[in-house]
Order: sequence, then C-alpha cells, then structure tokens
Amino acid sequence: MFRETEPRMPGARRRVVVTGLGAVTAAGWGVAALRRAVESGQTAIGPFTRFPHDRQRTHVAGEVPAAPAGHPWLVRTQRYSHADRFALFAALEAVTEAGWPDSLAGISAGVFFGSSTSGLFESEQFYEQLAEGAPDRADRSLLASHQLSAPAETVARRLGISGPVETISSACASAGLAIEQAMQSVRSGEIDVALAGGADGLALTTYAGFNALRAMDERPCRPFRADRAGMSLGEGGAVLVLESLDHAIARGAIPLAELLGAGSSCDATHMTAPHEAGTWAAAAMRAAIADARITAGEVGYINAHATGTPLNDAAEFAAFRTVFGDRASTIPVEATKSVLGHLLGAAGAVEAVSTVLCLMHEAVHPTAGDGEMDPSARVALVTGAPRATPGLRYGISSSLGFGGANAAVLFGRWVAP
Amino acid sequence: MSDDARLREDLKRLIVDRLRLEGLTPEKIGDDTPLFADGLGLDSVDALELVVGLEQEYGIVVKSHEIDKTIFTSVRTLARFVESARAGGAGDVPRDGA
Amino acid sequence: MGVDALAETLRGSAMKTLTVDESQGYHVPGASRRAVLSRGVDLSAWVSPAAARRMSPPSRLAVAAAQMAIMQAGLVGLAGGPSTAIVMSSSFGPVTSTEQLLDSARRDGPMSVSPFAFAESVANAAAGQVAIATRAQGPNLTIVQREAGAITAVGRAVALIASGRADRVLAGSVDEMPPLLHALLGRFDALARPDADGVEVARPFDAGRDGFVAAEGAVVLVLEKLEAARARGVRWLARVNRFGSAFDATAPRIGWGTGHGPLGRALARTIEAAGRQPSEVTRIVSGASGAVDGDRIEAEVLTEAWAGAPLPPILAPKAHVGQYGGGFLAAAMLSVAGGVFGPTLGFAREDPELGIRPFSGGSLAPSPLSLITTMGSGGSASWLLMESWESGAA
Repeated sequence: MFRETEPRMPGARRRVVVTGLGAVTAAGWGVAALRRAVESGQTAIGPFTRFPHDRQRTHVAGEVPAAPAGHPWLVRTQRYSHADRFALFAALEAVTEAGWPDSLAGISAGVFFGSSTSGLFESEQFYEQLAEGAPDRADRSLLASHQLSAPAETVARRLGISGPVETISSACASAGLAIEQAMQSVRSGEIDVALAGGADGLALTTYAGFNALRAMDERPCRPFRADRAGMSLGEGGAVLVLESLDHAIARGAIPLAELLGAGSSCDATHMTAPHEAGTWAAAAMRAAIADARITAGEVGYINAHATGTPLNDAAEFAAFRTVFGDRASTIPVEATKSVLGHLLGAAGAVEAVSTVLCLMHEAVHPTAGDGEMDPSARVALVTGAPRATPGLRYGISSSLGFGGANAAVLFGRWVAP
Repeated sequence: MSDDARLREDLKRLIVDRLRLEGLTPEKIGDDTPLFADGLGLDSVDALELVVGLEQEYGIVVKSHEIDKTIFTSVRTLARFVESARAGGAGDVPRDGA
Repeated sequence: MGVDALAETLRGSAMKTLTVDESQGYHVPGASRRAVLSRGVDLSAWVSPAAARRMSPPSRLAVAAAQMAIMQAGLVGLAGGPSTAIVMSSSFGPVTSTEQLLDSARRDGPMSVSPFAFAESVANAAAGQVAIATRAQGPNLTIVQREAGAITAVGRAVALIASGRADRVLAGSVDEMPPLLHALLGRFDALARPDADGVEVARPFDAGRDGFVAAEGAVVLVLEKLEAARARGVRWLARVNRFGSAFDATAPRIGWGTGHGPLGRALARTIEAAGRQPSEVTRIVSGASGAVDGDRIEAEVLTEAWAGAPLPPILAPKAHVGQYGGGFLAAAMLSVAGGVFGPTLGFAREDPELGIRPFSGGSLAPSPLSLITTMGSGGSASWLLMESWESGAA
C-alpha cells in the first residue's frame, strides 16, 4: 500500500540579512580598499605581472596586489592557489565583521561560492612541468586546488563549517547564482548562516581565451561608452555573510542590508553572445523583483554586468528597458567592472558587495572611464565621485554569463524597525 | 595550379578542418560560396576560429578591427585578404571588390 | 548507451572497461590503464553533427542524455520554455578543451588558442548546450562538488520546483575521462591498481580495496511535480522525499577525513526531518567506489546514523559503473525502482573495520524508502531519501 507522504521540502520563507562583508580585488586586500577604489571613479585596471603577456593581444588586467606580509589570516597558505587565498581572506574578513573571528563550528552554516577558474594558474604551472620534464617529476601539489570547488572547501575547512558547501560554476553568473542558492538555503531553514560569494584567479589560458574571442580591450574597459571595445579581466574574491534575521537579532548582530530576492534564467540561444534583446536577462531581473515582493518602479540603483563589450552592454540596456521602461535611462547605474575588471566566477559577489555599500551609505559609486555615452544604451552613470542618493532603498545587481546563464540579486537598505 | 588557386584550395581545407565541417569536402566549397548566412551558415565564433587558423597557418597578425564580414564574404575575398597581409600590407580588402 | 544498457550492466558480472590511450605519455609505468569510456558510442541519433560540431565531449554526452530523458518522459517538443530549469554537475568539467588550450598556448603561444576550445572549456558548457538544444530558459546551474555533485544537483533541482522557480528540471551529471585526467588520478593513487595479471578491479567495501575505476558519461533525469506526471499519464521511476548535505571539515584538500560522527548525525537529522526513522529505510545505495578512505567513511557514516542498529541491504553500484560520469546517479534511481541486480563486483572479503557486506545479487522489489549517499573527497557529503513507484499507485 503506497503511503502518500507529502515530501516535506521546506516551504518556509525566513528573512535573510547581510551581517558581514569581505573582499580582495585589484584595489587591494579588504573592503576598505575596495570602497576607496569604487568611490574614486578611477580604474584599478592596468599593467600586471602574474604571468608574461608580451605574446598576448592585450596587456592590462585588474590584478590583485601582493598580500599584506605576515597577515594572520594567510598563515600557512603558501601552497594554496591565489583563488584560495582570495576566498579565505574575504571570508575571514566577512565573518570577523559578523562577529565570529575564529570558527563557525556549532553554528548551522554553509558555503555557496562561484568559481570559474579557481586554481587554473597553478595547474598551468603543473602542466608546464608535465610537458617539459619527466612525467613523474611534475609537482602534483600544484593540482591540489585545481578543483573549482577548492575555494569554498578551503573556507569551509578553515572555519569548521558543517553544513552544505557548494560551488556553482556558470561562468560570469556563478556568484550571482551562488548568492541565490545561499539565500534559498537560509530562507528555507536548511541553515541559519551562509557564506555567499566567490573567488577566481588570473590565468594565462583564460586571458588568452578571451583574447581569442577578441573580447578584450587594449585599454581598461569602458562600459556603456559609444566606442567601448571590450572587457578587462580581473581577479579576486568577495564574501557576504547571509543570516536569517531572527538568528542575527537573537545574537545582537545589526544587519548591513537585507537580501530580498533573486532570480535566474537562461538565454538558451548562443554559448558566448548574449541574447540581443536581453529578454532572458530581463526575466532574471523581473524574477528577482517579484521574489523581493516589490515593483520595478521601486528599484533605485542597478549594478550592471556591464563588461564593456559592444554586445553585452547593448543587450543589457535592452533588458533594462524591458524591465524599467523609460527609467532605464534615469535609474543610477554602477559598472563596477570599469574599476576592478571582470572577476568571472567572483564578479557577482564583488558587485553584490558594492551594491550593499551603496545602500548602506545611500550613495551611488561612480563608474570609471570617459568618452561619449552610447546613445543607444544611454544609462545614468555617475562619474567622478559618489552621488548622494538619500532614501535609496532597493538595489539590484545583474550578471550575464557564457552559456547564457543570467542571475539577478536584489538588496534592500537595512532600516531598523 | 596557380598560386592564387592553390591558396584558395588551402583555405577551403583550413575551413573544413579548423571548423570541423565533417561531411563537407573542400571541393564542395565554391570560390564565391557565401561563408556566412545562407551559404555555409558560419557565425561570429567560427569567424574567430578561422582567424586564429589564418594567423597560425600564414604567419600573419589580424587586428580586431580588420575582422569584418567583408573579408569573410567568400573564399575569394579571404584569399585576397591573406595575400595582402602576407605582402606586408595592413590586410585591407579593397572595398570595391576589385 | 541508454537506460536499458545500464540495467543490463547492473545485472551483469563484469564492469565494461577499455584500455586508456597512453600514447601521450602522461601515464607512469605500471599505472592503472583501464576506465569505463564512451569511445565508439554513436550519439548521432540524439545530437546532430551540425550541432555537435562545436561541442566538447561533455556537452555532446549531456545533450544526448537530455534528449533521451525528454523522450522517456513523454516531453518531446514540450520540454522547453521559461519554467524548465537545468541543474548539471561535473567533477572535472571539460578537460579535453582545457588541455587543448594549455597545449596550444605552450607550443605555439597564447595567440594560437582556439576560440572553440575556450568557449567549451567553461564548466557550464554542457548546461548551456543542453539549454540551447532543449530551449530551456529557466534557471541554469552547474554545481561542482567532487563526487557528491550529482546528488546535490538533484537536491537543488527539487528545491527549484518546491520554491516555484521552475515547473520541471533537467538534472544530471557529466564527466569525461581523457588520458590526461586518467593519468593524474593514477598519480594521486586514486585508481584501482593492476593485479599480478594486470586486472584492475574496484572493490567497494572489500578488505583489499585499493581504489576506484574511473568512468565517463552523462546522465540526465527529468524532475517534475507528481501532479504533472500524472496529468501526462507518465510513469515515474522514483520520488524525492528529502535532500541533505553536510561538510566534513577534517577532510584534507584531496581525500576523506575523520568526521563520520558529525556527518552521520547530520544524515540522521535529515531522516528525522522527513518524519522517518532509519529503521524504515528499506534500501541504501552507497557511493562506495573501492576508494580506501572513501568507502571507510561511507560505512562509518551509515553506522553512525543507524546508531549501531542493523543496516538494510546496501547496494554499491560503482562496482559496475565506476566513479564519475553520472553512472552512480542513474544506477541509484534504478536501484530504488527495483529490478534484478548482480552481486557487488569485486567484493569478496568483508572489512572487519567496516562491517559491511554489500548486496550479493538478486531480484529487488521497488523500495518503499531508499537512501542514496555520496561522500565526496575534500569533505562534501550529500544524500537523498527516495520513495519508489509501487504497483497500484495512482
């Protein structure tokens, strides 16, 4: 006799707040460095030294500078990949701010990260050894962090995390999707705390690959400009501590912002070019807005994917028009990649951090770059210095990835009840 | 076979091999068969793959601004482009189709 | 290729392996040389040559599997749209494409890398290609979680449906096993070693186990609400009751740890949260693969969760299908649904430290309540509680 047991997949919907932020970017190690850079209106993209690029088509990137020497968060990490170190530092910064400097053992916590390259740079070094010398002399420890899941696992191991530890690898939409998964996990009650974010490191083959697609500008990228000519690669890591509101209140933590909603979709048309009309990027944003239970008219800030390629920015503007109508040209837009470059699997995470900073300070960050705006993608960029936007309530961050994956996450400024 | 004709034959082989057009032989590609849209139906990523093939095969460097539909119109226009680039020119394809 | 072939394999007495091509010189002398490979499989009925032209091996395998699943579910022509999501998992991603990039950059410089190879080198290439082939415009996720990813993909797919983010999900797993990857697994001592006769055997739970046999392939499941399946009059294989996932922070970067206590208790909590007791579980499908430490922790976690009580029959299908490529996920679904299964290949001697004797073969009825477990290397562990179709059920 079949027992009609209703599967008790959690249908709960707890409020999810942000209680900690961490970041490592071309601007430096830490959120303070990130904030200085995104408020400056100046790009941090420039010459880089991670690997020789004399035989590459372009010569700039958003490279993370050398780590602060002897920093306690990075002890015993010499054999870790760059991506692992970015993830670890950003995670420790975030949990320290949230109030747990040592460990999350004993807390119902998980990790949801995006990563697209992970330890590929270190694997490239292994491959060199493998191809050059005797096969058994290649140093296999270089592969220890090759797995895309390595940054998330590194963080989970260090913090004694016992809940789900998952990595999403959907190219440029990875971290946005990871934030959505983390939100769902906390909302449903699966866990009380999620470290949501991502990390990626510069790698020679990735750099060469984007150049093979002729996607990179020789100059630092200039999103939404009429003569924009491509993207710039970046690297780094960013983490947000997401927590159920009840859990945060119970321990006396003050939220920095609230994660209200998220949405995702897929273009299902082309592996590298975005859907021209931005239909599915719009669908992801609409889904996030609906999930947040607000209306498009209430969104006061957009952190655009804005890679600076001719196709992306045009398609993205079309998506904004679909979602916001005429307001697509008046809602303040930030193009963080103009300052930091494209962090690939971590892009959605660092851009979520930037979104939260704008909400916290009720000011929109400027976008770097100059030149005429593209008249057919006329967004309201801020330039030069942050623009105060008192009363800024809701901000949305959008990501469009290779393979057509789109993600959107929507935050609300925290207003104490 | 003239040098021109040989270059066109080599390019057809490069197209078939590089773009993995199984089931298509170089002989079936006419000198003036449209490579995009209604002809072979190639797209922008095919064009970029072909560019890498041209650079490696012929030792030329193709600048991004030179990659446009006109040089990829047909094998004939492609051949002219390659010849021009090899001769040390900027690789410009005469716009009047001469 | 196909579910019937898999069912036949699971009934059988041998794992179907081929010799890995060692001509590139990546394998060290004496290394393991066999793997479950898709060499020679003709996918043209499912993936047209025109579509396959620019696909990497994982993409082709995944698209073929997706089309097969859609056909079996009675959804041909109906599977696309904004309410169809895709959740794929892969342990290693597109290795051939990545290797091609590495090789050409090294030989001929960075400007020689292929745009085709780069576009297909992203881990979500397969999920993107499946979306294009099926016109699935809903959420599209690729989960990377070592050996636990396939089960997690199903768990997260169910959550998408439960939360209303999708009406149906194509969920699955894909991995390719080219010579480079096979050789590297060998260097990490992960693979079953050749014996005196050169035979490599994965021995799940066996006292003499010394590694797993690697595999490649793709599996896609169609997940949808029971009401939708009923409305189409389609028979369903199995039903997801609950998903759970945990992490063992004692695990080294490559390997398994000693955290069976917390993992076992997390597993017990999942069963409890489903309103059930371990004693109600009628079948376990374990991810044990023949890995020395991997199988140890699979056993220890079960023992912990059952608090020493006797375990139900345990199947270890990786004895038949190998590690990676989704074979485990597919075999697990068939195991839940019931059928004839052969004895656990390679198992001969119980390991006294584990106290597990896996299934010795025979006919299995549909299982009222099954548990599927996978303990991944690096610390992640995932499990599913499943129910089966019983004859007479609506």
